Amino acid sequence: MVVGDVTTAVDVLILGAGPGGYVAAIRAAQLGRHVTLVDQGPPGGACLHQGCIPLKALLSATERYQQTRQEERAAMGIHAETVSFDWAAMQAWKQSVVDRLVEGVRRLVAGNRIEYVHGTGWFINTQEVRVEGEYGSHRFKFDQCIIATGSSAAPLADLPYDGKQVLTPEQALMMPELPATLSIVGDDYIALELATLFARLGVEIKLFSPGEQLLAGVDPAALRLVQAGLCKLGVQMVTKAAIDSITERPVVISQGVCPNTSGLHLDTMGIEVAANGGIMVNTMQQSSVPGIYAIGDCTGGRALASLSTKQAKVAAEALSGQRVQFAPLVTPLVVHTTPELATVGYSAEEATRAGYNIVTGRFPLTANGRALTLGTDNGIALLIANADDGALLGATLVGPRAGDLIGQATLAIEMGATLTDLSEILYAHPGLSETLLEAAENALGRAIHVLAKA
Amino acid sequence: MQEFKLPDLGEGMHEAEIVQWLVKPGDTIKLDQTMVKVETDKAVVEIPSPVAGRVAEIRFQDGQVAKVGDVLVVFETSAKGDGSTPSQDSTAIPATTQPAGKPSPSPTAQTATTKQRVLAAPAVRKLAFELGIDLEQVTPSNPNGRVTIEDVRAFDERVKAASISPVSPAPAAEHGEVEQIAPQAAPSIALRAEQPVTPAQDERQPLTGLRKRIAEHMERSWRTIPHATAFDEVDGGALAALREALKPVAEKRDVRLTYIPLFIKLLIPLLKEFPIFNASLDEERREIIYKRSYHIGVATASPEGLLVPVLRNADRLTLLEIASNLERLVEGAKKRTLPLPELSGSTFTLNNVGSFGGSSGTPIINHPEVAILAVGRLQDKAVVQQGIVIVRPMMPLALSFDHRLIDGAMAGAFLARFKELVENPQQLMLDMV
Repeated sequence: MVVGDVTTAVDVLILGAGPGGYVAAIRAAQLGRHVTLVDQGPPGGACLHQGCIPLKALLSATERYQQTRQEERAAMGIHAETVSFDWAAMQAWKQSVVDRLVEGVRRLVAGNRIEYVHGTGWFINTQEVRVEGEYGSHRFKFDQCIIATGSSAAPLADLPYDGKQVLTPEQALMMPELPATLSIVGDDYIALELATLFARLGVEIKLFSPGEQLLAGVDPAALRLVQAGLCKLGVQMVTKAAIDSITERPVVISQGVCPNTSGLHLDTMGIEVAANGGIMVNTMQQSSVPGIYAIGDCTGGRALASLSTKQAKVAAEALSGQRVQFAPLVTPLVVHTTPELATVGYSAEEATRAGYNIVTGRFPLTANGRALTLGTDNGIALLIANADDGALLGATLVGPRAGDLIGQATLAIEMGATLTDLSEILYAHPGLSETLLEAAENALGRAIHVLAKA
Repeated sequence: MQEFKLPDLGEGMHEAEIVQWLVKPGDTIKLDQTMVKVETDKAVVEIPSPVAGRVAEIRFQDGQVAKVGDVLVVFETSAKGDGSTPSQDSTAIPATTQPAGKPSPSPTAQTATTKQRVLAAPAVRKLAFELGIDLEQVTPSNPNGRVTIEDVRAFDERVKAASISPVSPAPAAEHGEVEQIAPQAAPSIALRAEQPVTPAQDERQPLTGLRKRIAEHMERSWRTIPHATAFDEVDGGALAALREALKPVAEKRDVRLTYIPLFIKLLIPLLKEFPIFNASLDEERREIIYKRSYHIGVATASPEGLLVPVLRNADRLTLLEIASNLERLVEGAKKRTLPLPELSGSTFTLNNVGSFGGSSGTPIINHPEVAILAVGRLQDKAVVQQGIVIVRPMMPLALSFDHRLIDGAMAGAFLARFKELVENPQQLMLDMV
């Protein structure tokens, strides 16, 4: 290691190796760039290590556990007298999933000949970054830079996170022991998924939402099914709750995230930052400083890995001279509750507000053969289309695998598919995707498996 | 009530422009009375009334474009159950009457100002951004209003051809200008784009009617056929002498004998000798179709643009018949009164550049044919014969051919044989029936 202030000239420097940073690094490498990727930990970021992946792993483990206890099993002729779980083993399994994925990403990074530097970076000026790592401090002079530093749980002024009594969602997933009761504050998908996860393991959950409605913007009919599912798990729901009035401990707070930009010394180079700390970018992911791009959570948008990875490719391609932009029309959103909820595009209300003359179609899972054979008929498919040309504008799905099925609706919207397009293609039978067909035909006034337009 | 839909006018015509209504709502109309003139891609067609009755409603006004199957007019007829079928899809008033791509705001939401999306697949949108094209400005070629990759490319070509700068500034390079800031509710960074020089306002006219058809036809030919052109020059002395000899005789029989009938007469044995020149390529099945009929297209200038009336079965006509038929066809083309069958189906096309005043040029093949012969103006030129410079009436020839089917050697042989025939027209006697 070089001691002293030696500057290393690099081609593309990427700060942060989360689902934005490592993807940008690989795409830039594919385009023939020499990439230096900086992160204090192994690649994968919060998504892989603390967020999405651990959460989903625990959600599916707890779902399996809970399913063995349901009376529906007995109806299917399955008797499991002694089913138990071991939280520590569950945690270990979760970690094994994470480790496998991290190892995969590490190989991809190495295989693409990307220089991986452990450390925390900040800007010295518009061309240089200092990286403070385990082995000292390095100065990098880059040609182009992508900032992908992600976000962290929004701090609360009067309620500092201590990891024991007041927890961030990430900390909640790492609790060494399960508490008997747990309070969760929030109305977003993370709060709902945490409530679902822990309630399935028998933890008494109180869910406090600051407003009146959970999951703002979601169709009320779909939301009712999700709320009913939470009730069935014994989750107690309190609306219009002020954080200071919540005295129960431990408490998990899911009140959104804050862009990780404060430590970057962005002011030293006059990069423009929004009030929430997000780096401002255009649709090509370019910041106000030439040659510096920003992607993902640190731009202050919605904290979703799907956005980060797409923006990552746009940034890598744009800085390699291609004229590309981030322009998906819609963002699929999934909530892993029981039943599962997935939405994409406009809800009926949003579409109307946006000036569309709409037509809607709905189909309940109770009329879907596949749902019944799965033993879960709790759900619905809702489609929103433009009445003028039939083009699909939005979809809300509730039920098993909703998060996977939403992909078909997303493609349909992006392609400008119409209700007729949806009703002209074939759907495997029996299948959950048939609910999309039936909802489309319902909107067209000719669904086979429901009697009249609801 | 009886609806009248725009009928299929044949030859792949999908739409027609309403030129003029000769009736108006409230008029009584007789069976077969001409009610409307429509212009298809090839001709102006008069459509007679299919019924006797009263005109109740006219759905397409003069100048609008209707598609085959669109209801043009609704009649009130006294006769009931006369087989008239009210159209079930009367709600399907075509979207073509207004420029597509700009869906009008829905009437229920007049207050909303949100721009509704242009239907285009993600790959199309990506290409549009790459080329700096605003999708809203691209007219979809598809009747369903979806903008395709081809539409975007065609728009781009037009923009480039017109050398009008595209809507968005030139592709942003690495240090590109910040155009638009993404995060919601974030204040925008001011545009730092340099002030462009405002160009003089160019006039834009939509491509319609015959011009549109010509453009599409040329595009198709140029895109699909690898063109090559062979040039030569022929001594037209003998042909001129022949014409001078025949002309007064033809005139006595009320026929004006130009050079074109003579060329056609000379072409027929040539096409029989070289059948590949009277062929076409079935592009889908990758087969060569050798035509057994000889329909000669004759490029003709009309006030609206190029038309190619077709002299059918030219091999079975006498010179005089060719001349008189041609006179009628050219006249009809100029007046745009020819029915469609007389404007399509040629197997080889002759372009008498000389009659337009040109000396020569490189003709574009009349797709799906495989060759086109352009004959230039007869002009006295100095030529060298047996070491002596002499003056001869020379005529330039240009033969464009589809290089997929025909090679240069074959084209050369074809031209050489044509030259031989033009210089010795009496050879025709040999094969005369």
